[in-house]
Amino acid sequence: MMFTSRMIQLFAVVLGKDSERVTEALLREGVMQFINISEVESQRPNSLSAVKPRVSLTEISDLRKRVEGFLHTGGIIPAAPKETDLNNRIPVHIEKERNHLAQIASERESIRQRQRTIQQEILNIEDIRRQVELYGTGLSGVTLPAKHTFISMQTGKLPVSNVKQLEDELRDLPSANITLGRENDMAYHLLISMKRDSEQINKIIAKAGWTKVELPAEARSVKKNIFKEFSEKLKALTDEQKKLQIKVNELAKTDAKHFKETWVNLRVNELFYKIQTHFESSSRTVIFTGWLLSSKKEKLTELIKKTCQDRCYLEWNEAGSKDTIGDEIPVKLENPKIFAPFQMLVSNFGIPKYGTIDPTPFVMPLYLSMFGLMFADVGQGLILAILGVLGVYLLKKKGQKEGLYYLSWLIIWCGFSSIFFGALFGAFFGMGLFEPLWFDFHGIISGHSVGNSVINDVFDILSVTIYFGISVITLGLLFNWINIIRSGKWMELFFDKGGILGGWIYGGGIYIASFMIAHDYKGLPPGKTLFLLVGLPSLLLLFKEPYHYFAHRKDEPGKKFNPLIILNFLMEWLVELLEIFSGYLSNTLSFMRVAGLGIAHVCLMISFFTLADMTSGIASVLILILGNILVIALEGLTAGVQALRLNYYEFFTKFFHGTGKLFTPISLSSYK
Amino acid sequence: MAGQLSKYAFINAKLRARISKILSDDVFNQLAAAPSLDAALTLLRETPFAALEEIYSGTGDLKQAELELLKNEIEIYRNIRRYLHRNSIGLVDALLSRFEIDNLKNAIRIYFDRKIRKRPGDGGIHYILYDHIIHDIPIDIILNAENFDEIAGVCEGTPYSRIIRKYGHTVESEGSLFRMEIAFDHFYYHNLLAAIEKLDRPDRAMALRLAGVEIDLQNINWVIRFKNFYDLPLEAVLAAIVPGGFNLNSAIIDELYSAQNVTSVLGGFVKSKYPGLSALLSSQTPDITSRLGLVSRILEEIMKHEVRRILAGYPFTIGIILSYFALKRDELKKIRMILNAKQYGVQQERIESVI
Repeated sequence: MMFTSRMIQLFAVVLGKDSERVTEALLREGVMQFINISEVESQRPNSLSAVKPRVSLTEISDLRKRVEGFLHTGGIIPAAPKETDLNNRIPVHIEKERNHLAQIASERESIRQRQRTIQQEILNIEDIRRQVELYGTGLSGVTLPAKHTFISMQTGKLPVSNVKQLEDELRDLPSANITLGRENDMAYHLLISMKRDSEQINKIIAKAGWTKVELPAEARSVKKNIFKEFSEKLKALTDEQKKLQIKVNELAKTDAKHFKETWVNLRVNELFYKIQTHFESSSRTVIFTGWLLSSKKEKLTELIKKTCQDRCYLEWNEAGSKDTIGDEIPVKLENPKIFAPFQMLVSNFGIPKYGTIDPTPFVMPLYLSMFGLMFADVGQGLILAILGVLGVYLLKKKGQKEGLYYLSWLIIWCGFSSIFFGALFGAFFGMGLFEPLWFDFHGIISGHSVGNSVINDVFDILSVTIYFGISVITLGLLFNWINIIRSGKWMELFFDKGGILGGWIYGGGIYIASFMIAHDYKGLPPGKTLFLLVGLPSLLLLFKEPYHYFAHRKDEPGKKFNPLIILNFLMEWLVELLEIFSGYLSNTLSFMRVAGLGIAHVCLMISFFTLADMTSGIASVLILILGNILVIALEGLTAGVQALRLNYYEFFTKFFHGTGKLFTPISLSSYK
Repeated sequence: MAGQLSKYAFINAKLRARISKILSDDVFNQLAAAPSLDAALTLLRETPFAALEEIYSGTGDLKQAELELLKNEIEIYRNIRRYLHRNSIGLVDALLSRFEIDNLKNAIRIYFDRKIRKRPGDGGIHYILYDHIIHDIPIDIILNAENFDEIAGVCEGTPYSRIIRKYGHTVESEGSLFRMEIAFDHFYYHNLLAAIEKLDRPDRAMALRLAGVEIDLQNINWVIRFKNFYDLPLEAVLAAIVPGGFNLNSAIIDELYSAQNVTSVLGGFVKSKYPGLSALLSSQTPDITSRLGLVSRILEEIMKHEVRRILAGYPFTIGIILSYFALKRDELKKIRMILNAKQYGVQQERIESVI
């Protein structure tokens, strides 16, 4: 848990005839991250060639993505395959499935085409209705004459048998074709169209056998009727659009069962062939290699041997051994589930280098302590925890993104931390409802005597956070030393900025600062002590650059010693000293923000209470409620961000190398 | 006079937060790889562009969705304008006028097709903005107008009336809109540069630089059109280009219009000012169109480079606003491009090569 998990590399040789069964077994177990031997060219024997899958992996992947895309359009998210799906794996009929998809795509396209046509009709009607609303119809007696009238209205009769043809041909133009009545086999119509389209309109109506007739008296109330007509037509078209929309969505759902099964089979095959792309084959054997957790070694050995009936050769190489293939060792962070939100914070910064410390278990107490010190209140913490629980409940139910889910858990943890520190400081929604277990934060900020023997004023609160900062930085330095010792870089342990010399100077600096404070800032420790604490390590640092120069000179044979290099050494030394002194000082003082934000939190609550005191009744209660909401939202966010910042920049920078690559075994639940 | 910090502190924080919401290259790659338009729009469900999917699934009409995108883009400018100091508002107004000019150009194109080219309407009228942008322009009347004088008349009181009156007869006699469109572009950039001149000194240089790169892009787009569709003589081309470019002056455009080798023309300033883009110069370009296309791509990269430079520099300047607009424009352009490509079944590789 403290370090990244131990990895081991498997180099396996199995018979060609067993390779399918072995692939299935490896996929079922899902514990191995494969290495492409062909990519590590220098180590690939000439007698080996890549195993060619029976079906093209690209084709399977493409088809799987198409099916997935199709299911997504219907809001269906297919679930990862299960072991039974692997057992029931059947060959993929790519062509058949492609045709099936193409058939549905064409069906969908024809519905879309129909939607587009209807949409054009809707837009045409909306256009002409807008014109009528804006400028009127221009027919005296019907509406007032408008300044600009682009509407043309005409009444006429045509054979009933031609009405459908007329309606069809007018569909592409903004127009309203209103039936006024029928007489024998003739239909009387009022046609409203745009003047600009008169040429086309005239052709269409002539084709339909249109004969102009006088506007009947009953059409004098035409404006009202027109709008009714428009509304009815629009409603009918909109309803049809909705039906078509449902039809498209149903399209994905009707065949959902088949496509979900197809997707699962495709996915299983895709993963199966993906594993095989890492295989190399000779005439009768297949070779593969990859990383897995050391703890899985026994089980996998047993599984492969059982699958091959002992006809295999397995070679295990520990990470770091010279016999491993490839340089990169993947990193697996294994922490109890309770740490998941904090592991997310660590991974967000970077993946630790293989074999180094995984800071997750330490980030949890540090982050929560920082947050609690900045946002200490039992009541507000309770609200945070409830919000977090709500988030967890909703996100779990909806199967939302993992990040947001863990963020909700983080909020719950922060809520508990706030409650804990609130109890220590005796704060409940900014009020002192109970005796503080440690000291009265509110009392100190308000300037009251709190009767605590240790913490009495703001400076004492600032000191607490400084001590806290020193502890965090020291822990970071210790971790750095452990990482360096484990990697066996002894000179680095001594000379690194966060190494023994750096730590020595930091420790010396802390002692000197404490001495000065104890002597009312009027004196420094004796010269000899000063030299031992800061001078000596600083002088020793002077040897760092010359050591590097002479140690690495053999790597650059043409490089000759030049007297100017001495100047270079001196410059490097001075810059490094400057960095160490200013860096450690600012890192430590940076923790004062914890006190600063804690004080700001109390001050804000005091302000809201003062405002509430200036009013009475409901206004006073409202101010307190709004104040608490504001503080929870604003201060909660600020405290969360600042705690993260302190972890990332003051703690992680001392020891953390985010250069690792996450361990991604191929399993049935693989994302990619 | 307000200091730079007080003028831009709030908007800087706001826009940096918004910049972080701009779709990443990963999302664009996923969109390009989507098997269909429906699938691509489904991917947008989890982004601020979810409304596009809603509109498309309700209408089957991608242009309707694009119209919504345009309205949102205009709203972005209006929204940011509200948070600006009065000294910077003029510049955002000048930038906003681009939408009004483009909309007016579209309306005039529809009128031109119907009235002068005698082509039946293709439904373009439904994808025009009828809303007020900066001036009251009765788009309905323009679409239904009888002649350019009528259009100029209804645009009276706006700066566009003079341009329409001046070039209306030329357009009718030449049967081409390009002189009027160039005049609109010249007006837009003239207006933009005038607004930049009114900025405070620290902002001016930065805004001039970005506007200059944009002018370069506009000029090269015109040059491509001149070469492909009009084959104009060089003098006409040089007269048409917008002054104020940052990298491409008349001499370079003169060379680009006739030169066979883009490397020799652009090599000088690309290698000195943007060494990171030198690799693009070695691309193979068999004909003049591809060569000009390459220049356009280089200029787009230059724009991205300038934006990155601004974002990495002193934060309290007009640069953050202009950079945000440039990034947003690029994001929306990519979305439009990908969705249209998906509708027409363009191959994934081709889409990826242009995004």
